[in-house]
Amino acid sequence: MTDIRENWIFAEKSINKINSATFQLITKMKSISEIPVTVVLLESQADSFENEIKQYGPDKILTVKDDELDKADDVSVASALSGLIDKFGTPISFIFAATTFGRSVAPRLQAKLLTGLTADCLDLSFEDDLLVQTKPSYGDNIMCEIVIPDFKPQMATVRPNIFKAEKVFDDTTKIVEINDLNWDKDANIQITTHVLPAKTDENLATADRIVALGRGGKQDLNNANELANKINATVGVTRPLTDMDEFDQSQQIGQSGETVAPDLLINLGVSGSVQFTAGIENANTIVSVNTDKHAPIFKQSDYCFNGSSEDFLKALNKVL
Amino acid sequence: MKIVVGLKQVPETTNVKINEKTKNIDRRGVSGVINKYDRNALQTALDIRDVVGGTVIAMSMGPNDFAVSLQEALSLGADEAVLLSDRAFGGADTLATGYVLAEAIKKIGGVDLVIMGQQSVDADTGQMGPIVAEMLGISQVTYADEIQPKSDNELRIKRYDDNIEQEIIAKTPLMLTTTGNAGKPEYVNVVEIKNSFEKPLTTWTSKDMPVDSNRLGQSGSPTVVRRIMSPEPKERAGKMLSTDATKAAEELAGILHEENLLAEED
Ligand SMILES: Cc1cc2nc3c(=O)[nH]c(=O)nc-3n(C[C@H](O)[C@H](O)[C@H](O)COP(=O)(O)OP(=O)(O)OC[C@H]3O[C@@H](n4cnc5c(N)ncnc54)[C@H](O)[C@@H]3O)c2cc1C
Repeated sequence: MTDIRENWIFAEKSINKINSATFQLITKMKSISEIPVTVVLLESQADSFENEIKQYGPDKILTVKDDELDKADDVSVASALSGLIDKFGTPISFIFAATTFGRSVAPRLQAKLLTGLTADCLDLSFEDDLLVQTKPSYGDNIMCEIVIPDFKPQMATVRPNIFKAEKVFDDTTKIVEINDLNWDKDANIQITTHVLPAKTDENLATADRIVALGRGGKQDLNNANELANKINATVGVTRPLTDMDEFDQSQQIGQSGETVAPDLLINLGVSGSVQFTAGIENANTIVSVNTDKHAPIFKQSDYCFNGSSEDFLKALNKVL
Repeated sequence: MKIVVGLKQVPETTNVKINEKTKNIDRRGVSGVINKYDRNALQTALDIRDVVGGTVIAMSMGPNDFAVSLQEALSLGADEAVLLSDRAFGGADTLATGYVLAEAIKKIGGVDLVIMGQQSVDADTGQMGPIVAEMLGISQVTYADEIQPKSDNELRIKRYDDNIEQEIIAKTPLMLTTTGNAGKPEYVNVVEIKNSFEKPLTTWTSKDMPVDSNRLGQSGSPTVVRRIMSPEPKERAGKMLSTDATKAAEELAGILHEENLLAEED
């Protein structure tokens, strides 16, 4: 198979939109290497997500228009992606967002191509054509620097919301439409339901303001809700709180929950474990309230209030 | 159904540090346990077997002391266990590990279902299920939350694809990976522990499977770990507000307005 001097990014779709992680990856890959960036997009005949993607300035978009690939299972998608490599050549790297889908399809493709893959990277850089991948392990307690020196494509999944996406206005993206791709459909998998659950209006990952409750703030839920309403914020929680009836998994911030990037994050009774703080590094301004003067969260905060969350919430709700 | 469950033995705590002298992860005094998501995988397998019949084979690749976890799997209800252990397997990354697991599953033969946890809590890759599935040429459903047998060769599965809710009907042969919501693990009872010593626990080395030695261990691993580091916590200014709640609230309100943090975008 021929090698091509391109870095590929898989365009991940949610229902009716491109996952913002895709845009973040385009901006990042463009900033760390001169190697041209190609986005691989699988979409139905009626869709034209390439118009949205090109605003972020990839050099090329390979658009496979195929209704059957639009909501396909992992195996079918991996087959289509390997079909694209057969057709166009092996890129230097192939990057996916570390979403459920990315983390399921990428290793499947890796095993097809017999190459290396690094999961859930927090950073990427290049040394010439060598992709240097930084990956956490042991629940974010250890960082590993990993390379794939002898195999291509060098594959990685990258945690969403670590990098910022930036639009560009040069409109030089080349769009290549493919209508005759060969791939194998997985006949054993039948997706009978594929819907957004009713409760998704509060999306932590994209929220501009978040009020986060930890074990020291859970008794103040009413006051916290009042604050959230006042400043139009979404409520998030630390992992222990997801066991309570009032909260669910989708509200969890942190390494095994959501990585968030709000303008403002207010932490109430959160101690600041590494697993929690792994998810908040990209917040713009962090305010934390804790009764413990030595709480680790204060070191990760811009503004700190040493006192009870109840007193603080009541006072803040009064002045805002 | 013939079901294989992949188990990994992991350190009991992920709260490990780097040894400044050896530059390696210091695991002294940390004992090994079954990776928590693999407990869900095992229980899912046992639940399916109890409905449709069949056998559950627990499998693990690792050093000899991983036998402890396989013994535990037997006491939890698995019927047989296979340990894949050989010096030649050492230093394997996900691809080289997946290769050995896939070859062992082929050797067992006639396997309908392979179940693994969604990821291990130490390496955190989540790659093993899809890699083994591809190498076996079978279908996959990852991050399964609820699994119900629909017939002898079909499962009904609920999962979340990030925030998209999916229901899937999957035919065997199949690879499943389970989240912490699937198959709530049960406790071991004493009778089972006693019985478990009667059950077969075999060890296979590279000689027991038709493996290509170039694909084993370090030489079969495309990825190279160049360096391990402790994460650098990025510290922030940590400016203390007044200890008086009312004053603190006023200070903060001022800051939020000044920095324009309460304005709606777009
Ligand atoms: C593999 C792994 C993954 C994990 N993933 C995550 C994750 O994604 N997200 C996550 O959050 N956790 C995660 N955890 C758990 C994490 O280690 C911590 O246990 C958890 O974040 C602690 O939550 P907390 O801060 O709410 O509780 P605690 O650590 O109990 O802290 C409570 C804090 O509240 C303060 N407090 C008490 N009373 C008051 C009051 N009246 N007013 C103000 N402050 C008060 C206390 O001083 C304390 O600092 C993970 C753990 C592991 C092992």
